Amino acid sequence: MKSSIHLVHLSDDQIFSTLSGDVSAGVAAHLANCSVCSRRVAEAEAPIASFKALTLAWSERRSATLPLQSPAPPPLAWHRRAVMAATATAALLVGISVPLARNEAPSAPVVTSHAMATPSSTAEVATVSAPALTAAMQHKIPEAPAAVENGQTKPQDEQIARDNQMLQNIDRALDNSVESPADTYELQPISSQGPARERAKTLEN
Amino acid sequence: MQLALDATLTNVQASERSSSELEDIDALVRTYRPRLLRFVTFSIGDADLAESITQDCFLKAYNGRASFRGDCAINTWLTSIAMNLIRDQQRLQKFRFWRQARATAIDVNEAANFLPSKECSAESRVLIKEQTKHVQAALANLSVNQRSIFLMRFGQDMELAEIAAAIHMPLNTVKTHLHRALKSVRAQVGGIR
Repeated sequence: MKSSIHLVHLSDDQIFSTLSGDVSAGVAAHLANCSVCSRRVAEAEAPIASFKALTLAWSERRSATLPLQSPAPPPLAWHRRAVMAATATAALLVGISVPLARNEAPSAPVVTSHAMATPSSTAEVATVSAPALTAAMQHKIPEAPAAVENGQTKPQDEQIARDNQMLQNIDRALDNSVESPADTYELQPISSQGPARERAKTLEN
Repeated sequence: MQLALDATLTNVQASERSSSELEDIDALVRTYRPRLLRFVTFSIGDADLAESITQDCFLKAYNGRASFRGDCAINTWLTSIAMNLIRDQQRLQKFRFWRQARATAIDVNEAANFLPSKECSAESRVLIKEQTKHVQAALANLSVNQRSIFLMRFGQDMELAEIAAAIHMPLNTVKTHLHRALKSVRAQVGGIR
């Protein structure tokens, strides 16, 4: 039996199968005992082994020179993108609206005051007395939505209130009820029928 | 019964080990990129495009690591992904295959310089270079399937059954392709004496 294994060498197909890793028990037994076939297999393997060694050396060197790039994070789902876009838009709107609200807040009472809006109302304001204007302003201040809703306009409201108070004090100071120094000396205004005029008339005549 | 239980436990442990290996992308790239790059480079014959495909392969593997069940080696799994990417490239006809891409193929003379000098003498270096040139020339004349299977078997050290599973091909067909590939290489190199 052993001699029959040695007498028949492996065919090319069997050697290819051996290289492929598809080795039957009979072929393995023959290779274990036949140096000729073992050498043939080794010769067939040599170019492939050379190819493996050289190309692996090349790819290792090439890989070493490449940057070790970590994969980027996976793309976001559409709903997450939508939420991020909405948040960015809201932030942008807030960023724009806050400076605008700051600029508009002081003029809010003037703009919303119907008495000051039209030319005819302006004429009325010109004839109205200072206490009346103060009262009108005090009446209009609560109507300003920006002043009511925006917490940042509170200091401005206080300033307006102080101004109104000052105007009221001025009004009180100018009020007629205050005693004049002329009254103290019982001075009378010069009338058109006074003694000087009468003397002048006499001289003319 | 006990043996079956042990086998199951071993498979579970191997699966967990593989999954944890996939979590560390840097280690994954460091370990598998050289072989994968070689596989892709010699599959398409274009080193620059191969780098891009290899990078895509790791990206896909990392993003899809949850789908890795651990029923094969990571190397096999990565090679399957790379194979699909190569096929996608072929379908899109982004490149013309091998024969047209030889201009950007690797230079064997230059690559021979990367061989470790301690392990091979000047004579053996020359021999390795000549043999590699012959194999490279033989690969250029193979069909796509023959070349892929040859590279999987001898480049990626995959078993025939693993190759069959990776490219969804019957085992006997894989054997036939490999047989023809080896025959072509033998013809190019000079035959088996």
